[in-house]
Amino acid sequence: MDSLAAIKQTFFQECEEQLAELESGLLAIEGGIQDSETVNAVFRAVHSIKGGAGAFALDDLVRFAHVFETALDHLRAGLLLPSAEVTGCMLRAADVLADLVRAARDGGSVDAARCKALGEELAALDPDGAGTVPETDDGMDGIDFAPVLVELDDLDALPAPSGRHFTIRFTPHPDLYAKANDAAVILREITRLGDATITCDTSDVPLLSELDPEGSCLSWTIRLRTASDAAAVREVFEFVEGDCDVAISAEAEEDGEDLDVAALLARLQGEVAGETAEATAQQLIADETPLPGSEVIDLSEVRRQGKAHEVAPEPASKPEATAASTAAPPTIRVDLDRVDRLIDLVGELVINQAMLAQRVFEAGLARASGVAAGLDELEQLTREIQDSVMAIRAQPVKSVFQRIPRLVREVAALTGKTVRLVTEGEATEVDKTVIERLSDPLTHMIRNAIDHGLESPEARLEKGKPAEGQVRLSALHRSGRIVIEVADDGAGIDRPKVKAIAARKGLVAADAVLSDEEIDNLIFLPGFSTAASISDISGRGVGMDVVKRSIQALGGRISIASRPGEGSTFTMSLPLTLAVLDGMVVTVAGQTLVVPLTAIVETLQPKAVEVHGLGGAARVIAIREHFVPLIDVGRELGYRGNDADPLDCVALLVESEGGARNALLVDAILGQRQVVIKSLEANYRHVPGIAAATILGDGRVALILDVDAVVARSRSDAASHETFLAAAG
Amino acid sequence: MPVGFTSNPRIVPVLELSEVLDIKAAAPLAAAFLERRGAEILVDAARVEKLGGQCLQVLLSAAFTWKADELPFGIVEPSAAFLDALALLGVPADALGDQGLAR
Repeated sequence: MDSLAAIKQTFFQECEEQLAELESGLLAIEGGIQDSETVNAVFRAVHSIKGGAGAFALDDLVRFAHVFETALDHLRAGLLLPSAEVTGCMLRAADVLADLVRAARDGGSVDAARCKALGEELAALDPDGAGTVPETDDGMDGIDFAPVLVELDDLDALPAPSGRHFTIRFTPHPDLYAKANDAAVILREITRLGDATITCDTSDVPLLSELDPEGSCLSWTIRLRTASDAAAVREVFEFVEGDCDVAISAEAEEDGEDLDVAALLARLQGEVAGETAEATAQQLIADETPLPGSEVIDLSEVRRQGKAHEVAPEPASKPEATAASTAAPPTIRVDLDRVDRLIDLVGELVINQAMLAQRVFEAGLARASGVAAGLDELEQLTREIQDSVMAIRAQPVKSVFQRIPRLVREVAALTGKTVRLVTEGEATEVDKTVIERLSDPLTHMIRNAIDHGLESPEARLEKGKPAEGQVRLSALHRSGRIVIEVADDGAGIDRPKVKAIAARKGLVAADAVLSDEEIDNLIFLPGFSTAASISDISGRGVGMDVVKRSIQALGGRISIASRPGEGSTFTMSLPLTLAVLDGMVVTVAGQTLVVPLTAIVETLQPKAVEVHGLGGAARVIAIREHFVPLIDVGRELGYRGNDADPLDCVALLVESEGGARNALLVDAILGQRQVVIKSLEANYRHVPGIAAATILGDGRVALILDVDAVVARSRSDAASHETFLAAAG
Repeated sequence: MPVGFTSNPRIVPVLELSEVLDIKAAAPLAAAFLERRGAEILVDAARVEKLGGQCLQVLLSAAFTWKADELPFGIVEPSAAFLDALALLGVPADALGDQGLAR
């Protein structure tokens, strides 16, 4: 990848972060948090996206961001009140901006009509009615140099800048250009703040033979008259922080109404630093040359005079004296491949440590020996390293949750429902590999909650509920797993209807006696759909089946709790990582297998009186007051041709989603341990009934059982689905 | 190529600036000027739509160099975008050559 492509990639990564900031800020404003810090953060996000997009000539993106930014500028200046209409428009604009960023990154297209409509909607927010959408055929508008006049005209429509004068000394470093930024873009942003007089210091420009064309030898002095404060001025330079020197000094307060401590301090600093407000030689010349082109300039004179005016620069990153921001902990960007490699290596370390422990055990060394004690310490240390490394890849679920508000808005608009989304536990962390696979099932569940769960506003009002429905999305850690809940306050599952549909589709016998829980779980059966008409929103009746399989593929479970008239709650329980697993090591027909511990409810030794035949090969075991199907793992996986004698086996009572229980027959239990998951698909191929593999301490490969798949296989063998349902649970 | 050469009736070499004078254009532009050093030059800015800081440096350096060499250097036919860019970058429009900016 060439350096420009790498910079572009970084830009898009930063765009995603800015878009997240933008959305969360707008939602906060919508929720009544309207402090200047929040509004500024929102403005900054759009501003940064626009700045970067300009550097890469992403004109569509720049144009839209420009209009958006103008509207936000009005909001920031207090000229626009954050009404529900305004925030709603801005949230939709944020969605379009996100589409434009992704289109620029992935090469797709955006809905031009929607983009245009939103642009006009944003422009219409202009309190003076002066907002205009830049012409679509002028790619240079809004970002580069030609638009400057337009920008100034736009500013004319705003109240005249009052109050503050700043003198800004701006010296780009070569890095600023190397990162595809440009001084011109920064200067243009400055002109947006008010009346700016810009002079260029050319004193360091060498002759061509000594010039590094990709270096930086120009600096600028800007005299700015603006209504904005020093923080707003400094914000302009945030995008190039560290890549330039910036000295900002406040000069005078015209209105003198309020005491700006920051401005005063800055002014004092300016005075101490010397004559910061001095015009450069170029400015003096400019004063003497009223009309461009009327006179030849002696450039050697320009250079000589330019040298005489030095302003002590300060790094752009120097914090504002009055900035109340809390310092974020320092972070670095690391290529994910490196982290994955590290996690793999630590996995190998864990396996190696287990093998070493096995050798020590086989060597018959006493528990109290120095070697064994050292090994214990090594084990503890290994576990700590593993936890720490996994923490590197852990991410808050916020990255998934933040996509949901947009989804809710879109689905609500399509269904004509009013929906309020409440999110909780966004900071809950889970491994990135889990997060990446969480998005699709979650999206489908939210769609379902709105489309099928919530009633129409009219129906809600009739039932005495508020017209606005609520969908609550929450995440929390519980027992070493992450639990994600999607709850709605809708009508709840219409059980008679669900059962009737299932019976009509032949999924259950019409006269089957089913518990509420069993009826609820029918919606997870393949092909089940309660929608009277197929909707565009919730798919084509395969939704919850797909959701369930996605969750299961992650080693998770999903369950439903529904109360008629009060709503439904879907609960997903997922492992925190796909890298390690707590498992029970068992033997089956001479093979060693690992059964995920989370699936196991209890283990038991079957007794003759508890085991009953059902005709054919099917057998059940009586556990307390329930009959539970017995599944011979050895037979299901093809390790043996005939069913094992349950009395010679151990039964593992496992629980599937919805509480359905089955007993897996294995030959013996060897113990419990944490194992490192190795993908079977990546190293061999998918094997039905097997989720993954691991390497045991003795160096042998053990397969990790996919409990749900084994149960499903045996279920398909079962003579009657109804029998299974009746027996479960 | 960001630049090209044409001839005018006075047989003064003309360096035609390309439309986009961004960071990628700076090095080729400097090379083009170096190639023409030692003779008077007219720089045609008619097509310029975008001018960034680094190409401005090159233009200024070229103007200084021609001045030091005591040779005529002029910008001709500047586009509106070029003039706007100069204004934004704080450079007087006539600072780029002893021929002024002939339109």
